[in-house]
Amino acid sequence: MRAELTIRLQRLGALTGFLVLLGGIAATFGVSRLQAAQASTQTAENASEENYLTPVELKFSPDGTKLYVVCEDDDSLLAVDVKAQRVLGKVKVGHKPKDVAVSPDGRVLYVTNEWDDTVSEIDAKSFSVRRTLPAGWGPVGVTTDRTGKVLFVANSVGNDVSVIDLTAGVELKRLASWRSPHNLLLSRDGRRVYIANMLGHLGPPNEPPVSELTVIDTASQRVAERIEIPGVLELRHIAEAPGAKGGYLLVPIMRPKNLNPLIQVAGGWIVTHGMAVVKVGETNGITPAKSSVTQILLDDVDQYFAGTNGVAFTPDGRLALVTASEADIVSAIDTAKLERRLRQVPAEELANRLDSAKEIVARRLETGANPMAIAISHDGRFAYVVNRLGDSLTVVDIPRLQVRGTIDLGGPKELSKLRRGEQMFHAARFCFQGQFACSTCHPDNHIDGVSWNLETPQLGRDRVANRTLRGIAETAPYKWNGHNPDLETQCGPRIAKFLFHSEGFNSAQLSDLVAFIKAIPLPPNRHLAADGQLTPAQEHGRAIFYQRFCDTCHTPATHYTARISFDVGTATKYDTNGFFDVPQLDRIVQRPPYMHSGEALSLEELWTIYNPHDRHGVTSDMSKEDLNDLIEFLKSL
Amino acid sequence: MTNKQMRRWLLGVAGCMALLAPACAQELPLYTKWENYTTANGMPDEKVLSVAVDDDRVWAGTENGLVLIEKGKIQKIYKPEDGLANRVVTGIAVDKASGDVWIATFGGLSRLSGGQFHNYTNLTSGLANDIVYGVAIQDEYVWVATTAGTNRFNTHTGEWAIFSEKNAPLNEPWSYGIAVAEKKVYVAVWGGGILEYDIAGGYWKPYTDPDGEMEIILFKNQGLIHMIVSNIAWNKDTQMFWASTYFGLSGYDGRNWHNYLSTDSGLASDFINAPKSRGDDVWACTDKGLSYLNFKTNTWVTYRPNAKTGHGEIVITGPDKKVTTRETPTSLAHNYILNLDFQGDDIWVATATGLSHGIKESTRESNKEGKVHEHTSVSR
Repeated sequence: MRAELTIRLQRLGALTGFLVLLGGIAATFGVSRLQAAQASTQTAENASEENYLTPVELKFSPDGTKLYVVCEDDDSLLAVDVKAQRVLGKVKVGHKPKDVAVSPDGRVLYVTNEWDDTVSEIDAKSFSVRRTLPAGWGPVGVTTDRTGKVLFVANSVGNDVSVIDLTAGVELKRLASWRSPHNLLLSRDGRRVYIANMLGHLGPPNEPPVSELTVIDTASQRVAERIEIPGVLELRHIAEAPGAKGGYLLVPIMRPKNLNPLIQVAGGWIVTHGMAVVKVGETNGITPAKSSVTQILLDDVDQYFAGTNGVAFTPDGRLALVTASEADIVSAIDTAKLERRLRQVPAEELANRLDSAKEIVARRLETGANPMAIAISHDGRFAYVVNRLGDSLTVVDIPRLQVRGTIDLGGPKELSKLRRGEQMFHAARFCFQGQFACSTCHPDNHIDGVSWNLETPQLGRDRVANRTLRGIAETAPYKWNGHNPDLETQCGPRIAKFLFHSEGFNSAQLSDLVAFIKAIPLPPNRHLAADGQLTPAQEHGRAIFYQRFCDTCHTPATHYTARISFDVGTATKYDTNGFFDVPQLDRIVQRPPYMHSGEALSLEELWTIYNPHDRHGVTSDMSKEDLNDLIEFLKSL
Repeated sequence: MTNKQMRRWLLGVAGCMALLAPACAQELPLYTKWENYTTANGMPDEKVLSVAVDDDRVWAGTENGLVLIEKGKIQKIYKPEDGLANRVVTGIAVDKASGDVWIATFGGLSRLSGGQFHNYTNLTSGLANDIVYGVAIQDEYVWVATTAGTNRFNTHTGEWAIFSEKNAPLNEPWSYGIAVAEKKVYVAVWGGGILEYDIAGGYWKPYTDPDGEMEIILFKNQGLIHMIVSNIAWNKDTQMFWASTYFGLSGYDGRNWHNYLSTDSGLASDFINAPKSRGDDVWACTDKGLSYLNFKTNTWVTYRPNAKTGHGEIVITGPDKKVTTRETPTSLAHNYILNLDFQGDDIWVATATGLSHGIKESTRESNKEGKVHEHTSVSR
């Protein structure tokens, strides 16, 4: 044992020395931060080399004759003639557009550009961009208020909501949401804006997640309430029932049983999918509102419908349609039966009952690949589902509850290797009973923000934090214990045996999947100036980083990971081995919680709480000023 | 105009002003009606350390929780079990744009938003120290006064900056209070004077004792009256800052200092916990009552409870040092005053035994309230 450890340490020392040398060479020859940022952008372009459209959102024009479709990989907005079922026009917008809002009079469209931190304002008549408005970091969901004079924009990276004065074209304020706010909905009476937060609150890894539906009062433009939805993640879309049907909200959810051993997949019920039914109470923003939240699942006992995402009510409220983006299904919910079910079964039971769907789901309809947003025509006759990885819209005949056809939005007809891999990534069919896909726990190719009970030696007790898939191509080995030398191992037999409990991917599929994962780019770094120059605090933090020999394990030349395991004293009482894979530091600020255990909820806690013996760098003598600057440097990576 | 004519004209103007001055003093708005919130009617602790008004809402920080008063009633008391960082609430700032309430406590900084708390501590964030005395909002920045320096938290980027003796001209790290002006941020430093931060330039300028040798000035308006500054307030109307010290009151208009001691003015005591100012009004929260200065007329009013009668006592000191005393049926909860904020014409006052609401009444109404005792002029 001791000999083995010695050899391991010798190897580690040699490799560390080599990597330190590499890091030094890189620093000497000035591998600038700007170049690194450019490299990441190039990777992103390679990923979309086939010019797929990748539609993600759609909204109707007020007269109902057009659908505006946002295409994130094409950086464009399409106008689709609903009657002719063809694309009328295209306008180029910013990078990674995510959502569109239509002004109340239909004359102006607003498209959020997630990677540009802007909103494109488009003249609906000429279908051209007339100005670009600044937003916060990572703008995604967007809506105007009733007057059309104020725009609300959810900033997924900034974790806030920009309130923009459309007359002056300036941001008035930002309101804190929670983690990764996604879609917005203006209430039917115009009094509120609802915000779905995709990630849950940061909390202890041994507790279930809690997510938040943020409520903004449009008159005061202040946060009126934060409605907690326990035990769920990945809130995306929101729909409000007509007033005659009670005006409740439907919010698709994912319920991860991350505290239970994941090997229980074979027993079912580990990751379930459904909706939160939210009745929003009146609030003054201070005293608790009497909002109520009930959860109901849309899975069947032996067949799951992963990736609940888009939702819409028919105008009469009799039906609600919900997409399952990882099952390529849209489910039609009979709301009368839903309401009856809510009355009949106690709320505390309903969240975990797998017998609700057979009561409330009127029909399951197949869509194209990766269905997301959904819009229903004003006359209630047709629903249109965006097929993100199919570059198409599925048209549903609502009275007949059958698929009427598909609208081709354009884009390549051949599936490239990367596109096939991406479809695999989003397909739950490879998992036992279709319980989840890769993207279920890696939404937006990133993290779900919780720790999972995986195949650790102390299975059942120990939990490990989820790790991002962004920019990981050159960061092997994989897994926290560093046992998987490459992604083929990680995503092949391991996934099949331990996670999916199925045959998994065949070799061709695995090759496609790995190619896709390797091509996942890093998003832009908002903490780094456009010219790559560090702020004084970041510069000081950089000096500390090297003075404290952080670069020994977090080697700059290899994405700030030595690509080897170290024991830095972070083992929990359940760990049988203290050595863990050194995580890369690219965009580290965007992926809390930290450490393999997910115990550190902020970068500060890594050193203020979880480094009591100075094994994760000698930091106990570090001043708070120095620690803050070190963290500012880490944010710039 | 000849010199003679000019002299006559100036004498005439001076005579008119002399006649008008007592009239101004007579019209002085007085607070003759007080409503008190104490442990007897629901406050969680006697000592109220801080108060902040947000339109109809009044937030009070006590030694045992944060209190929300609305429509004359205590609506809610927040304690650590509700998510508040610590029970001792030393400072409160309301972000008027977002409505979020930022709370300085002895266990870190709390943000109350949409009914939920989010806490920032020395261990979980870039906060310099968990003993937080003051908090103020400047656009997207939250400024925090701690015992280990001043923090600036950027709510958009998440960046925490610390200004301490290591990177700013602080003689001492103990930041007690913060005031935000249009282009500057002022920090009251206990034992370190006042620091002025230029927002555009990003640099600091200290205001300390002018001779650099003593903590206290030697001449009346020579400079900051004392280095032990307990708090600071900005008056946007007069573009002046006012600093409370344990040895007198200092105001600075950008060119001249205006210093006041209890021995040469109507100030109730030189031991001052906090100042507040708007228009011509300057308030000083002292250990012997709440003092008011009309900066334009140099008229002083001090409010305090009369320990013998239990009634309120109003002491008016005119510019001619003539003192008039009035008695009112109601009074401040205590003469030890810690903080104050405005609600329209009303004031809310944090005292050692409760929160007092001073209700502004018209001069005619307030004159009906109590007995008036005339005193002869007192030379102070």
